[in-house]
Amino acid sequence: MEEQRYIVFLFPSVSYALKAEKILKAAGTAHKLIPVPRHISSDCGVCLRTTEDKQLDVAGELLGRVKWDKVVLL
Amino acid sequence: MPVNIDSRGLACPEPVIMAKKAIEENEQITVLVDNDMAVENIRRLALKMACSFSVTEREAGMWEIALTRTGAVAHLPPGSLEDELSCAVVAGKETGPLVVVLSDNHMGRGDDVLGDILIRSFVHTLLQLKPLPYKVICYNSGVKLAVKDSTVLDDLQQLEKDGVDILVCGTCVNYFEIGDQVAAGHISNMYDIAETMAGAGRLMRP
Repeated sequence: MEEQRYIVFLFPSVSYALKAEKILKAAGTAHKLIPVPRHISSDCGVCLRTTEDKQLDVAGELLGRVKWDKVVLL
Repeated sequence: MPVNIDSRGLACPEPVIMAKKAIEENEQITVLVDNDMAVENIRRLALKMACSFSVTEREAGMWEIALTRTGAVAHLPPGSLEDELSCAVVAGKETGPLVVVLSDNHMGRGDDVLGDILIRSFVHTLLQLKPLPYKVICYNSGVKLAVKDSTVLDDLQQLEKDGVDILVCGTCVNYFEIGDQVAAGHISNMYDIAETMAGAGRLMRP
């Protein structure tokens, strides 16, 4: 079986990430709040990690409710 | 018959390197060591090389470790073992093993929502430390991090899989009435907690 790849949603600020987390939690979508990986940013920020196959689900949940900057494949 | 190795009196990383060489060549070995860092390093070696591991303290400060291969012999890539050894932290006389103390289920004081985000990031980041901490101690509300619905449970469980010993304060889980929900680490007591803290070269408390 191919190993599942992870992606991260990057947000303009911590409060956006928190709001997104609340939405995903309520929707029961698997995710994890993690520090933004060092190779992406030197800021001490957090981002939402999910598996690549969940990208559309997550985007669908967040669309129109929380703005995100970009999605990066880990 | 197991092959016996006596690595007493040898400095890190000698004992673990001798153990590695011996278990690559034999099904079963016993190693005598005289420091707990060597016990810890050989425990990690056993995890990596698919060996069963048991340790008996023969006398104060002297341990006998038994390793038995449970699968095909695993050859570690060169350098991979050395990277993870905890020698660096015992090399200096003023230092010893790194122990992480989680005394709260938040990181820092001021804002608990922020403190919750920070502790989650902190525990996740522990997994990337090289070498990994020797032990993690959870007490007071820090024990809530080790229960079933904790947001850092998966990271604590991964630390355990990677060989980090996680001590969870028994008095604390009893106080919070969450004894049946602990899902990472093992219940410990103040003797172990105080001894671990006293024996640490560095204590890291988020």
